[in-house]
Amino acid sequence: MQKKSKLILLSIVLTLVMILSACGGNNNASESTQPAAETGPASESQSAATDGALNTSEEVKLKMIFVGPKPVDYDAVFTELNKKLKEKINATIEGEFLDWSDWAQKYPLKLAANEDFDLIYSANWAGYGDQALKGGFLELTEDMLAKYMPTTWKEMPKVSWDQAKVNGKLYMVPQNRGESIEKLILYREDLRKKYNLPVIDSPEAYTNYLKAVAANEKGVIPFTPETGDWKLHNLDRVLLKQQRDWNMLDFDLPLGFKLTDEKGQIFNVYETPEFKELLLYYKDLADNNAWSKNVLNSKNDHQLDFKEGKTASISHNMGTLGALMALMRKENSPFEVALADVTPNSKKSTAISTQNGTSVHATSKNPERALMFIDLMQNDKELHDLIMNGIEGVHYVPVGDNKFQATDASNNYTGFSNWSFNSPLNRDNESFPQEATDMQKGWDANVYHYPLETFVFNNTKVKAEVANVGNVMLRYAIPLEYGVIKDVDKGLEDLNKQMKAAGIDKIQQEMQSQIDAFLAQNNE
Amino acid sequence: MNRHGFWNDVVKYRAILLMLAPAVLFFLLFAYVPMVGIILAFKQYNYAGGVFGSPWNGLDNIRFFFESGDAWRVTRNTALYNIAFIVINNLLQIFAAILLFEVGGKWFRKITQSVLFLPYFISWVVVGAIAYNLLNYDIGTVNVILKGFGMEPIDIYNTPAYWPYILVIVSAWKGLGYGTVMYLAAITSIDTEMYEAAEIDGANIFQRIMKVTIPNLYPTVIILTLLAVGNIFRGDFGMFYNMIGNNGILFSATDVIDTFVFRSLITSNDIGMSAAAGVYQSVLGFATIMLVNYAVRKHDKDRALF
Repeated sequence: MQKKSKLILLSIVLTLVMILSACGGNNNASESTQPAAETGPASESQSAATDGALNTSEEVKLKMIFVGPKPVDYDAVFTELNKKLKEKINATIEGEFLDWSDWAQKYPLKLAANEDFDLIYSANWAGYGDQALKGGFLELTEDMLAKYMPTTWKEMPKVSWDQAKVNGKLYMVPQNRGESIEKLILYREDLRKKYNLPVIDSPEAYTNYLKAVAANEKGVIPFTPETGDWKLHNLDRVLLKQQRDWNMLDFDLPLGFKLTDEKGQIFNVYETPEFKELLLYYKDLADNNAWSKNVLNSKNDHQLDFKEGKTASISHNMGTLGALMALMRKENSPFEVALADVTPNSKKSTAISTQNGTSVHATSKNPERALMFIDLMQNDKELHDLIMNGIEGVHYVPVGDNKFQATDASNNYTGFSNWSFNSPLNRDNESFPQEATDMQKGWDANVYHYPLETFVFNNTKVKAEVANVGNVMLRYAIPLEYGVIKDVDKGLEDLNKQMKAAGIDKIQQEMQSQIDAFLAQNNE
Repeated sequence: MNRHGFWNDVVKYRAILLMLAPAVLFFLLFAYVPMVGIILAFKQYNYAGGVFGSPWNGLDNIRFFFESGDAWRVTRNTALYNIAFIVINNLLQIFAAILLFEVGGKWFRKITQSVLFLPYFISWVVVGAIAYNLLNYDIGTVNVILKGFGMEPIDIYNTPAYWPYILVIVSAWKGLGYGTVMYLAAITSIDTEMYEAAEIDGANIFQRIMKVTIPNLYPTVIILTLLAVGNIFRGDFGMFYNMIGNNGILFSATDVIDTFVFRSLITSNDIGMSAAAGVYQSVLGFATIMLVNYAVRKHDKDRALF
């Protein structure tokens, strides 16, 4: 009757699940040891495998967990996939899908409950490091990789493997394709022309645009942030990270470093004069109604609002914005839209490889076949096309070797995390805006590799502080950034006082000492 | 003899016992068995070790809560909000129940009851969206009306001072129907002879309410309050999260333990730490209910819970 708090409910469910799985877990262990003990031929075949041919005589059913909703045409595509898989490695795959609405709760539960599955989509933004440290994923050794996924082992650049290591151990087969994660701005070119504004290529030009829209366009909100993207959000990443050539190891912590700094000196972003400058920039925009006054409580989808002409600019990454542009053009939107990079001369960085990856479940009964499966998904052209784009002629029409044309049925096979199989074999959407592709090419030329690219922060020792700092960021920094607090100086002072109290210095020290150790080891 | 009696009773009351079984099973499975999970609050949880095998780490899990400097504020907020909810909601519910009982008219009563009950079924997500559309600065109904009268719009979502009132009103609105039905049931079960006797003695309607209805409602009020007091340190997460969300400006007035803990741990996702916060709430809740029950017991033995 009384609504219990979600938290308590969650912990109750968790404990229950774990109590149940405690019994289940034992069964699993005994089951998995049994076949190894009783089947003599298996060990023979293993020695045979070293000769090159892997034993796949026994049919195996694999199960993989994806995030995102189950695609409408899942059955058709996966049936096709399984036919080919059976031929090649005598295995079939079954997908389980965690919908976007509650994947964040379900994902850790799948691992905590030790459910029966072999593969799981993993990513830095899905708690990869954390889940690996808690023992959810199988450690992948070089021997295993070389033996069961020879093509991937050969194709994947070493830096990608290194980036995926947690405490020196590998728990993921990362995607094999650089992906830009720099944020940029999508705006209404027709409005810019209407008010005769200069090209948007600097923060100042962007301000002009926002102010002109605010002053003249009734009913159009100049900028709408992405709901849920708080803490160091999209605009911060453009105007702070890119503009200053900084980077952060974790966008939930206000700790940054200069890209060019060989020593990897960490500093508190909130204490820099650059941050204060940014706050004044934001405050000016807020005072000129560049965004809704109640932006923190709005739950509107910024992409939808943009598409419908309710907002005049949004910020996200190239892939997302390019796809939105393509969609709007396909639907003959009355609005002319364009991309803006307001920091064109900054150094660009690509996503670290753990942006998308596949991990093997720690208690998988068939890790060998699971690795072979990933190998095929990434590197077998036919299977790769199938998992990424669906059935040829139905869900896509191939154009040349590396492009495809969307069909009406494309939407029936999309929207879930098959991205972990990204590889050089990927096909790009033919209608992806040319200017986006061009801009991407320019960025690719400016990609800067920095010493801390492969560093992963282990926050075990400062968990309490990380929790409190996150809270302070939401409570003090975000209202300040959206210009809701009238006195910027005082707001900033409060923020920094609270940051200190929450233990930011301790996190900084801990991170610095880990970085120092990491760099010392790398320079040996 | 005794044993014989026990089995006799079991056989005799088997139907009633059977009806009780689902509830007993429910509490056993969902309240008593998970209590073992309390040990998680004192462990550094990992998958390999599970609940029992993970290493102990003492009071480390709750450290974040007390070191945040907000522990007192959110605990106080939680208790004060819940006290306000209990007092105001109960008063309104009793008032509405008496009105409905006295007004009579079967159809009127039924329809009013349903209308009052409706908000109870609306999820907090929807309530949050309705509130945003009513109260927001740019296009909210309230401000559009104010502007229509040539008045200055009020920036409700950036002013913490309004929120205790808004939350109390919303909670009352949502819970009214449910509580009213409970009290109405209690009133209808009052012996009608008492009302007849009162009428013969010449009592008017107000005297009837004050001297007959309300005294007869005391036991129900006390039991419901006692039950609610046990949860006084648990904030209604659905309500606070959907009404306030991530609006930091309002936290000073609206943060409760549940929202605070949720926000702190949403990125780290640490099971041990969230369990520790749950234990903290349970211990406080347990202490309160023991205390209140003791007080009631001292005052009137028959009305205490145990």
